Amino acid sequence: MRQVLVIEDDEEIRESLVETLHDNGHPAVGAANGKAGLELLARADLPCLILLDLMMPVMDGHEFRAAQLKNPQLASVPVVVLSAHRDLDNEARKLGASAWMQKPLKLDELLEAVKRYCVD
Amino acid sequence: MNKDWSGPLVDSIGDYAIFMLDPEGNIRSWNSGAERLGQHRRDEAIGRHLAALHPPEDVAAGKPGRLLSAAARDGRIEDEGWRVRKDGSRFWAGVLITAARDPGGRLIGFSIVIRDLGEHRLASEDLHRSEERFRRLVESVKDYAIFMLDPNGFIQTWNDGARRIKQYEASEAIGRHMSIFYPPADAAAGKPERLLARAVVDGRVEDEGWRVRKDGSRFWADVVITALRDSQGRLVGFAKVTRDLTERKQAEDERLRLAQAEEALRLRDEFLSIASHELKTPLTAMQLQMQAARRGLEGTPGHRLDRALRSAERLSQLIETLLDVSRIVSGHLSLKPETADLRDLAQEVVDRMTPSATHAGVPLSLSLNGPLPGRWDPLRMSQVLTNLVSNAIKYGQGSPVEVALRRVRGQARLEVMDGGPGIPPEDLERIFGRFERAVSARNYGGLGLGLYISRQIVEAHGGRIHAENRPDGGARFVVELPLLVAATSEAGELH
Repeated sequence: MRQVLVIEDDEEIRESLVETLHDNGHPAVGAANGKAGLELLARADLPCLILLDLMMPVMDGHEFRAAQLKNPQLASVPVVVLSAHRDLDNEARKLGASAWMQKPLKLDELLEAVKRYCVD
Repeated sequence: MNKDWSGPLVDSIGDYAIFMLDPEGNIRSWNSGAERLGQHRRDEAIGRHLAALHPPEDVAAGKPGRLLSAAARDGRIEDEGWRVRKDGSRFWAGVLITAARDPGGRLIGFSIVIRDLGEHRLASEDLHRSEERFRRLVESVKDYAIFMLDPNGFIQTWNDGARRIKQYEASEAIGRHMSIFYPPADAAAGKPERLLARAVVDGRVEDEGWRVRKDGSRFWADVVITALRDSQGRLVGFAKVTRDLTERKQAEDERLRLAQAEEALRLRDEFLSIASHELKTPLTAMQLQMQAARRGLEGTPGHRLDRALRSAERLSQLIETLLDVSRIVSGHLSLKPETADLRDLAQEVVDRMTPSATHAGVPLSLSLNGPLPGRWDPLRMSQVLTNLVSNAIKYGQGSPVEVALRRVRGQARLEVMDGGPGIPPEDLERIFGRFERAVSARNYGGLGLGLYISRQIVEAHGGRIHAENRPDGGARFVVELPLLVAATSEAGELH
């Protein structure tokens, strides 16, 4: 089963997501910012889904998304944007994301989304 | 008659009266110029005293004798002033008196040269008149205190403006030192002297600061002190011009105070925004963990975890409320209107809130009347309705809460009513302000922001919200909304 890549700078949120996804049958791996995410993507198998935070140090969600779309191998990986941003749908649309989820996250909705992209 | 003194040369000079006095001041010679100027013939003049040429007031004041004494003492003296002709008419004369002494140094008399300065006099009178006009002008200026100081800072002149601004009469001010206008601390610190010293060095000095009136009250003054010098460059004093800028200063202070208050508000709102974002982050992690744990307990009651989740949800709502306020004050409250029937929204909210109303022992009812289609932000309108219903449950003291929707004059009218104590009339408007509430925060929780946010949301939809008391008791909140709101942005699903 392919992994979910969680790109989120807050360690507690990142680890909670990775653990919870794991507990619910979805292998997941975390990256602390966009740059770390790109590095992981370069040396691991393509994930089935990227959960992407927007505001991060080093490389934020927008910069990550731009770099992802420039790379033909990565461009097709679906991205779900996670943010506390109120105007998230507009942000997500600008980024060409597949979906968005408002923080605080609803676990049921999150698992539903992961299932949609990662279970064939 | 001394031939040495009345020779043909002297005699022939017509423009000057040239004659000789004995040591007592009696006329001993008289030339033709003197005949012309003084109108006395030579035989009439000789033997008379010099005083015959002076106006009576000068004679009474002893001026002729004084001039001669000065000439005897100093060798010579110049004078300019009125002299009198034989017919009593006057002319403006330039006079030179020189003491004549024999080789032994004994005073033998005086030589006198007199010139009619008629034209010079007119010129100097013009100057005098012009100075006089200028002096009157300065005296009558009321908006500026304009006065002169001597080189040591003592007041020499005074004008109307000085009287008005500083409250001293001319007689009280002239002769006193300029430091009386300075606050005691400034005077003690030598500020007046420092300003004068700078004016001496730089030619002028400008200062803005507090000054003191006669009654001790202070005014904010703009002061310019200019050093005055004579043609040889010697300091003869200072001109001081003072303006009362108290009103301008107060207006400036007020503007500054307002700007500071606005800045403080801005900082608070910025802090609110940052703080709520920061609070949200750990809450997100916490809720995820609790939701995951609760999921692991699927099928078991899990009361404790459910309570914890509800508390986390409330915390999340409070943070959201703070964020809403920061969005509103920064103008970032944006709507995502969708076409919907207000009845469906109201039904959803009432359904969602019925359990908590029941739990509080409050009957909650909804009455709907006709379709109310429009374009609204469903989340935001639910937020308004939820706020009004939860307020009614909270403050209605257990009375039934009624939500009613109907169409009135082409608008949607939504009412939320309770049968509680109502709202004091003076608070009906105030409760829509930020951090306002009609009851004390000690007895009821909450941030006091719900109605403020509700009003912002309703107004952003082009509607109005107000509160009133029902004739039969209890409070009624009324929301009126246009049934067709122009779309400000499209909303949609991304997947």
